[in-house]
Amino acid sequence: MEYQHASRGAVLAALLCAPAFAQAPAGATHYSIDQAKSSLEFSFVQAGAQNKGKFTKFPVTLDASADGTSASRLDVTVDMTTFDTDDKERNDTLKGPDLFDVAKFPQAHFVATQITKTATGFDAVGKLTLRGVTRDLHVPFTLRATKEQGHAVTYLAGRTTVRRLDFGVGQGDWKSTEWVGNDVTVSYSVRLVAAQ
Amino acid sequence: MAIRNTTVRWGAVSQLLHWLIVALIIAQVTLASMADDLPPVKKIGLLAWHKSIGITILLLAVIRLLWRWMNPTPLLPGTLKPYERTLANFTHATLYVLLFIMPLSGWMMSSARGFPVAWFGFFPKSWFGSVQLPDLVPKNKPLYDALLTTHQALQWVLYTVVALHVLAALKHHFMLKDNVLKRMLPFT
Repeated sequence: MEYQHASRGAVLAALLCAPAFAQAPAGATHYSIDQAKSSLEFSFVQAGAQNKGKFTKFPVTLDASADGTSASRLDVTVDMTTFDTDDKERNDTLKGPDLFDVAKFPQAHFVATQITKTATGFDAVGKLTLRGVTRDLHVPFTLRATKEQGHAVTYLAGRTTVRRLDFGVGQGDWKSTEWVGNDVTVSYSVRLVAAQ
Repeated sequence: MAIRNTTVRWGAVSQLLHWLIVALIIAQVTLASMADDLPPVKKIGLLAWHKSIGITILLLAVIRLLWRWMNPTPLLPGTLKPYERTLANFTHATLYVLLFIMPLSGWMMSSARGFPVAWFGFFPKSWFGSVQLPDLVPKNKPLYDALLTTHQALQWVLYTVVALHVLAALKHHFMLKDNVLKRMLPFT
């Protein structure tokens, strides 16, 4: 985004001269999640078969232009205690100390302030903190901005891959990728509503 | 040894299928009993083998039945009493049924639990390609519990019928001194 690299003076000048520059960061709309209509799912390979799960609480905020053509900040907090694979035994194992260690690390956090436009949408390059380890992560997504009952709404969707062992998700026996794969596909579909 | 069966002797294909399935069933019972007390990762591994071997047995059972239909079946000795003949037929039929419903109940149980079955999917892809099998039933906890009970109960039916089968074979060999056991042995 050239806007992000433009000097403050240039942005100010642009804002003063051209009201159409609403997609510039200074004019960005602040969106926050409609949790009931959003999903954050993951899948991983266990013994050759795809296994799935989801999180049910993961506050997201996005600063983007109202028309969905630019975005400047994406912030996601995942409540790890809402982790669910629809199987109590597996949930308990995954929340345990050798894997997500939810008691010690109840939240995961992703924040990106560097969001670039790609051929198909956007690429947010930010930091994911998971199980106390912070690493760079690319979060590609598409935006679809619309108005619903006169209110600005935008839909964010995409998927990325997280290597669980990069974050220490898998201690002891779980460090092996023989039975449980390292790559975890994370897919997200979020309904975001503009702040009033 | 002939490839095909005759009315007096099992051929090589039938014998191979019989003894291969015997070996795989022993492996199955061993894996299942070992898995019980293991920590999760090792348990996942053993159960992945158990599921893969189970699907293999199911495939072999299909081949075995087809082969049986395409071949003569060695006759039971003429000296058998009618009730012995009925018991023998019943035992064999039950064993064939178990070769199908043991794996199928296990597969359904995995589907109901939400742990899909992959046939040797854990090997490097270059060996087999990952073969994830479709779910036979939707994920459903009460159904899983019922299928688990069924799968576990069936093992006792299997042990009972196998015991009958083995005792009968030994009786034929050592007491009746006929060829019923020998005709299923490769080197006799």
